[in-house]
Amino acid sequence: MATLKYAKFVDTTKCDGCRACMVACKNWNDLPVDPKAFDGAFNGYDSHEKLTANTWNIIKYTEKTNNTRNEGLDWFIAHNSCFHCGVAACEKACPEGAISHTEFGSVVIDEEKCVACGYCVVNCTFDVIRLGERTVNGKKKKVSTKCTLCTDRLDNGLHPACVTACHTGSLEFGDRAEMLAKAEARLDEIKDRYPNAQIYNPEGVGETTMFYLLADKPETYGLPVNPKVPTSLKVWKDYAQPVGKLLFGATTMAVVAGVVSNQLFNPRAKGETHEGGHDHE
Amino acid sequence: MIKYIIDTSMYFEEYVKNYTNASFIVGDGYDFKDGIFSGYNEEKRSYDRAKWAFKTVPAVDAAGQPILDPVTKLPTTKTATDPTLQDPRCVFQLMKKHYSRYDLDTVSRTTGTPVEQLKQVYDMYASTGRKDKAGTMMYAMGITQHTVGSENVRVMAMVQLLLGNIGIAGGGVNALRGESNVQGSTDFGLLYHNTAGYMETPTATLGDSTWDGFMGRITPKTGFFSNKNRFYVALQKAFYGKNATAENQWGLDYLPKLTAGKDYSHMKVFEAMAAGTIEGAFVWGANPVVGGPNAKQEKSALANLKWLVIADLWEHETSVFWSKEAGSNPADIQTEVFFLPACGSFEKEGSISNSGRWMQYRWEAIKPKGESKADLEMLHNLALKLKDLYKTSSNPNDAAINALTWDFGGEGHPDIDKVAREINGYDLTTGKLLNGFGVMTTPDAVLGNFSSGNWIYSGFYTEKDGNKSKKRDNVDKGIGNFLNWSFAWPANRRILYNRASCDLQGNPYNPNKVVIKWGGGKDAVTGAPIWGGNDVPDFAPTKAPDVADGSGKKPFIMTPSLVGNLYAPMNEGPFPEHYEPWESPAKNNFSSVQLNPAVKFPAKGFDQKGEADTFPIVATTYRVSEHWQTGAMTRNQEWLSELVPHMFIEISEELAKEKGISHKEEVIVSSARGEIKAFAMVTKRLRPYTVNGKKVHEIGMPWQFGFKGYAKGASANTLTPHIGDANTTIPEYKAFLCDVRRAK
Repeated sequence: MATLKYAKFVDTTKCDGCRACMVACKNWNDLPVDPKAFDGAFNGYDSHEKLTANTWNIIKYTEKTNNTRNEGLDWFIAHNSCFHCGVAACEKACPEGAISHTEFGSVVIDEEKCVACGYCVVNCTFDVIRLGERTVNGKKKKVSTKCTLCTDRLDNGLHPACVTACHTGSLEFGDRAEMLAKAEARLDEIKDRYPNAQIYNPEGVGETTMFYLLADKPETYGLPVNPKVPTSLKVWKDYAQPVGKLLFGATTMAVVAGVVSNQLFNPRAKGETHEGGHDHE
Repeated sequence: MIKYIIDTSMYFEEYVKNYTNASFIVGDGYDFKDGIFSGYNEEKRSYDRAKWAFKTVPAVDAAGQPILDPVTKLPTTKTATDPTLQDPRCVFQLMKKHYSRYDLDTVSRTTGTPVEQLKQVYDMYASTGRKDKAGTMMYAMGITQHTVGSENVRVMAMVQLLLGNIGIAGGGVNALRGESNVQGSTDFGLLYHNTAGYMETPTATLGDSTWDGFMGRITPKTGFFSNKNRFYVALQKAFYGKNATAENQWGLDYLPKLTAGKDYSHMKVFEAMAAGTIEGAFVWGANPVVGGPNAKQEKSALANLKWLVIADLWEHETSVFWSKEAGSNPADIQTEVFFLPACGSFEKEGSISNSGRWMQYRWEAIKPKGESKADLEMLHNLALKLKDLYKTSSNPNDAAINALTWDFGGEGHPDIDKVAREINGYDLTTGKLLNGFGVMTTPDAVLGNFSSGNWIYSGFYTEKDGNKSKKRDNVDKGIGNFLNWSFAWPANRRILYNRASCDLQGNPYNPNKVVIKWGGGKDAVTGAPIWGGNDVPDFAPTKAPDVADGSGKKPFIMTPSLVGNLYAPMNEGPFPEHYEPWESPAKNNFSSVQLNPAVKFPAKGFDQKGEADTFPIVATTYRVSEHWQTGAMTRNQEWLSELVPHMFIEISEELAKEKGISHKEEVIVSSARGEIKAFAMVTKRLRPYTVNGKKVHEIGMPWQFGFKGYAKGASANTLTPHIGDANTTIPEYKAFLCDVRRAK
């Protein structure tokens, strides 16, 4: 488990849904538009139904009736991207050691090592990772892609592009303890207005570098209530893989992984939901 | 809210009595019956505003002797007042009577807002009518794009005056401009009826044919604008230099003249185009085929032009109005269209003025792409070309072009610093930059010794400090005013009428938020107390509160009466009155007059009007943050286009159910002007209103789509009416009637 020293704090109560974070992300990371955007399908205010290989963060808009305020209506708006889990299922599932934590707590994918097996995609706790085509060492290649927390910017003393673009202060990056204290203080401020408000920083995944202050229950935002990294994944990564590699060599073990992962660890293949009891579909 | 504030006595009494015209007695000519004020001419749909004049009484001095006019030696008059506000003909009592009809129940029946919510809003806002509280009002096109748009703004100003919220920290009526430099464009006279610095354009009338006649018409006798003559002469000197002299009426003949009473606003220009009375047009950074009201008719009108020049970043719906994709037959259109590629704001140097009147300088971040040029460069080269073409002409019609001084350099990009200096103005006897407009207003100032391209900005560029709009000191020295960040007109003042933040003696009403106070500064020479604090005083700093003529107690220096106007003659009356939009499903509850009686109707061909039996649904239009104005810039940007790629309407669950429309389904919206296709966004955020006991549905839609760019969609302005506000003629984009049906 990575020791988290930093945090990207998402205060959903300050988001006005302008989507500058989405444009800033594409701009910095040089990501193209999703051709699907113009295919005639209309998604309401959500520009994308889900994260894609070319869209690493999205804004989700949720209308919900309540019986207390605003004539019984809330419009919840939230920035959504990779959580950068302290204990990352993707990292555990990767048979190639292509996924790792940086000193900033960001979970990054080494495109050179990635073989596009897709285990990280199916095992991701939050349905974030996608397979996409990239040019690696001058060659087109399929790889796993997702938000990097702009680790290349952090390396150079800059904040993630989405944070820099945010004009309401909904997105912040900084010292983890400071960000958590800020979130607690803000929670006190908004409790009266949003009785179900809470900080979302799940322990079951070793806490997350991107954590939320939600104005309502996690379910409202389509988030798992109590997500956990499956024990089987931890056993696989922390015991079986090292021992197996020692006994059978790395290549054999990668092939074994292909069989084992699909049969054992893929919750969708087994028709199950995550341990937290939440189904993304 | 006005009635509520008066009934509950939540108004700031001291402020209202001293700093507004509440105590002024209105003359016998004023009357109001059933939605109509006195002086109405039904045929012309206009008022004789002289009927609403204040009552005057002979002016007398402390000894009771008549005060004589210094020139004519005749007895003078002054406005009659009742400082107790009890006289039934005083503004306060007339206002109270006028709004007595606006009780909570009737307002609720009219607006569809439940009584309890109205009360909650009124009560919360009225609670700012205290010394230690401030309330601010911010508004945008939702307020102005109505046939009663100006009256909407007037009502806000009245509420703010009643609550003492003008001139204080955190107060004001603040326009959130629809374009980043709308403030700058109006400051510099881009509206047809104004020239730079909010001074009137002359008309082609006998009265305006002499300088004194023109100035006599537009210059008030009292208030700061009594200096208008001096500012206007300085403007003429900036325009025409040595060619503007006292002998040639300061070059008055060079100025273009309006036909008196003629409307040259957007809608009327297009109506004139349709009538064939306009031959050519420059459309500069605008896209009326998407953005104009009743857009189909405006597009057709363009075909009557002989020539059309478009300056913009991309080809847009207006620049290709003649094409097949625009639904036109190119063979039928003879208009010659020129396209001047313009560069974007990051590709040029210059300034932008925001709603807080800060002029902020910007630098060129990247070089212009391709052949694109800054607007300033295009204008500069056009001016040089015109001057060259006419230089040998002796035709009097061409004298204005020859008389114009144009000292900004040769062909290519002009010297923008010289433009900035000319805006600030010079002392022409020394050639030095002016330190401000004050020097032009002193009794011994000689007319014609000064130039200033825009008097309100005078002082932004001085010999000592250089161009102050480049200042970037973000240290707060009190109440968040940041006086050393950029430059705010006038005189770097951030809060207008800030004398009103103090009581009659000059002590701040709220000692915790001092804007200025008497004794807040000291005279540099004598050490005597002067006005000072956290802002530049909106007042001569040495003018003591107890100065003999009483002007030390009057904060509203730009009004002739020096107080705030609760009663003010607008085109439709001195008090705002409720009228329904041109198209409305509801009967006016406050009078038998349905529409603002001073609104002018559209010309034939633009006058399609829908009735509620055919078009029962209320529609409104708005923008989304991802697309800018008509989308001419943002729909050509892929990342923005993918965020809002399709035209949609927002529709309530109730209306969707009635019409059998499901979320994300294609629908057709129709109005008397035309119909468009859009996706339905069924939402809980819109709900039917109960108006006069009947259910009224409303739909909303963005207006930035057209047939060019990455994100294409139907233009909402196909549906909107060609009618506007009675004072500004801003179109009524915000309320009209339509119907909705499934596309399949």
